[in-house]
Amino acid sequence: MRTPSIVLGKEIRCAGLTKQFDGAAVLGPLDITFIAGQTTALVGPSGCGKSTFLRLIAGLDLPSAGSVCIGSQSPKEVAKRGALSMAFQDPALLPWRTVRENIALGAKLARKSDNGVDDLIALVGLSGFETHRPAELSGGMRQRAAIARSLVSEPELLLLDEPFGSVDALTRARLNAELPPLWRKRAATTIMVTHSVDEAVLLSERIIVLSERPATVVADLSVTFDEPRTAKLIDGHEFQSRKAQVLRALGVAV
Amino acid sequence: MQIWAGFMTALVAISLWGGAAHVFSESVLVASPSGVWAFVSSNSGLLVRATLTTAQNAALGFVWGNIAAVIMAGLVTMQPRAERVVSASALVIFCLPLVATGPILRVISGPGSAPQIALAGLAVYYTTYLALLVGLRAMPRSWSDLMSVYGRGSFMTLITVRARASLPYLFAGLQIAAPAAFLGAMIGEFTGAERGLGVLTLRAMRGLDVDATWSLALISATVAVLAYALVGRIGERLVGYAPVIILSPPKPPTRRNIWPGIAEMVAAALFLLLLWQVAMDVFQLNRFFAKRPGDVVRYLAADADARLTLWVALKETMAATIPGFLSGLLLGAGLAVAVILFPKATRVVLPVAVALRSIPIITTAPLIVLALGRGATGTITVVAVMIFFPTFVACLQGLRQAPQQIIDVFHTYGAGPVRVLGAAQIPAMMPALFASAKMAVPAAILAVTTTEWLATGKGIGVLMALTSTTSNYNMLWSCIVAITLVAVVMYAAVLWAERMVLAIYASEQLT
Repeated sequence: MRTPSIVLGKEIRCAGLTKQFDGAAVLGPLDITFIAGQTTALVGPSGCGKSTFLRLIAGLDLPSAGSVCIGSQSPKEVAKRGALSMAFQDPALLPWRTVRENIALGAKLARKSDNGVDDLIALVGLSGFETHRPAELSGGMRQRAAIARSLVSEPELLLLDEPFGSVDALTRARLNAELPPLWRKRAATTIMVTHSVDEAVLLSERIIVLSERPATVVADLSVTFDEPRTAKLIDGHEFQSRKAQVLRALGVAV
Repeated sequence: MQIWAGFMTALVAISLWGGAAHVFSESVLVASPSGVWAFVSSNSGLLVRATLTTAQNAALGFVWGNIAAVIMAGLVTMQPRAERVVSASALVIFCLPLVATGPILRVISGPGSAPQIALAGLAVYYTTYLALLVGLRAMPRSWSDLMSVYGRGSFMTLITVRARASLPYLFAGLQIAAPAAFLGAMIGEFTGAERGLGVLTLRAMRGLDVDATWSLALISATVAVLAYALVGRIGERLVGYAPVIILSPPKPPTRRNIWPGIAEMVAAALFLLLLWQVAMDVFQLNRFFAKRPGDVVRYLAADADARLTLWVALKETMAATIPGFLSGLLLGAGLAVAVILFPKATRVVLPVAVALRSIPIITTAPLIVLALGRGATGTITVVAVMIFFPTFVACLQGLRQAPQQIIDVFHTYGAGPVRVLGAAQIPAMMPALFASAKMAVPAAILAVTTTEWLATGKGIGVLMALTSTTSNYNMLWSCIVAITLVAVVMYAAVLWAERMVLAIYASEQLT
């Protein structure tokens, strides 16, 4: 069992968080506190408002009611410090920049040094493609570049919106093994939206299961395994029972 | 291969031209290739000097006009609330009839090349402004999200992302602007310059020298085509990547409150009236010819005959403007669609389109009117010729930006080119079509008033020319106000239609 390196005063408190579009509720009210340094997975039915939730935490959208507090700061203030980063469903790479320049952009925008760029390129398996432009990459490679960009600024808060959506199974397994130690080493608070229950159980220390729209919390589960976690874990009884628990919360007959 | 095709096209064109010259040999309409060659070879020194003078003025106007456009578009992108005031002011200044502004600029600056440069700049700033504005907004939401996540504001987004993303659009605008600057410089030379192609053209037309008129038209068309091609080549080099494809989700319906919009329009109107008054006072222009807003109001309120004259002329002008405007847009969009359906047609259509657009309207208008008669048909044709080219270029670019993924989906179902066109490419063309419609409003009015002045002797164009020669400056300024109001109303109609259509097809363009 691993003790998360809790950074005091940096937890994320969502209080009465609600979002409506044209009077129709899409989210909430949600009262959740994300513990600093922990990795939390958000799972829920398609279209339930997971991405909206992530956008509210990032300060990209404003809540209709309630608030998001990161430590004592608003998301916008955290963003201004360069302490926030996010990987979107759409890789959002700039077509005129090379892979290396796109990844370094994350450091530049956060006003941090880009020393780690080459290590990250190797980590996400893009060595040899540094000078390629996004149009010359496959969908999965673009997404890996976007993940590297989100990590290069060493954020305190890392938001991942289905980061491995179009990454091939092999690379996905490798990233599942190599990325979590990386963001844990940096004590980043990570919130990840995912459709894969396996991935949620394998990568996170806490899983929040959301209901159909408007999303509310139907289950809040903690996931504790011996570290470091490996793919072998998936075959174990403990993993499977945790997975069944999540699926039941999602309303799937197990 | 390409050179060979170009050579064949030129050969066919010259043969057709020779045939036409033979058929029309009795008229004063068509010069023969041999006549043009004789004129060019015996006046080569003069023509080279004149071309260089005009090209230099056009280049300076091109630079200044585009700098202004870039500043305005940047300002509006960062402060979207300023758009209505900036766009309205830009539009009104662009709509000011050259028959009136030319002489005024000449009075302000005295002899020299300032009016030519100013008119060249005025001819380009508006088209570049609109094209660039579309480009600066053509950004997927995830890019602005990326900037927000790092706490970067609108200025950093403009510098890092929008400016670079807008390059393909900027160059499409600059490509249209290059021939327009040349045309503007030539019109500027009509106001009393000492040298340049415009001066020679005016002299040739007054002397009914058909060979000279055609030679000058050909030279100016060649220069304009070269400028167009050069800007295009530079653009290809600089842009260097496929333009961004935007698949934006439709925006939720916006609130129906119209008051902020009306308040902005009133603010724009007040700003312009103030600009008018202050500009006249700052330059201490003589009140005899430089009327202020109050003078126009007093004149029109007191004189019922004047109001009637103005109304009759305005009706005549509108009868040609609106059909010409619509047919020009239809022709431009239609040709762009034809080029997409039959890609091989590009090589023929594009040079003809550039040439038609860049031969100065001053020389084409009388020729077209002579050929089609002094009725509405002739004027409508001039308007259509004037505006179809920018529309064609913009629509072609829009059609080519249709997302390949969507086209692929259609292809997997075995859909034919017409189906793909209707479902994917025409929707992608919509922002470009409306941007061109906005540019076409002032262009149509310029074309109609110039044709009326030079050829048909009807409508507000000729009323302005008459009143400026008879020193009835109250009427001249009333005409300017009336024609500007018409432009603003047409522009507002385009905006309204744009909002309806783009809310579905390209919501990122709406603010």
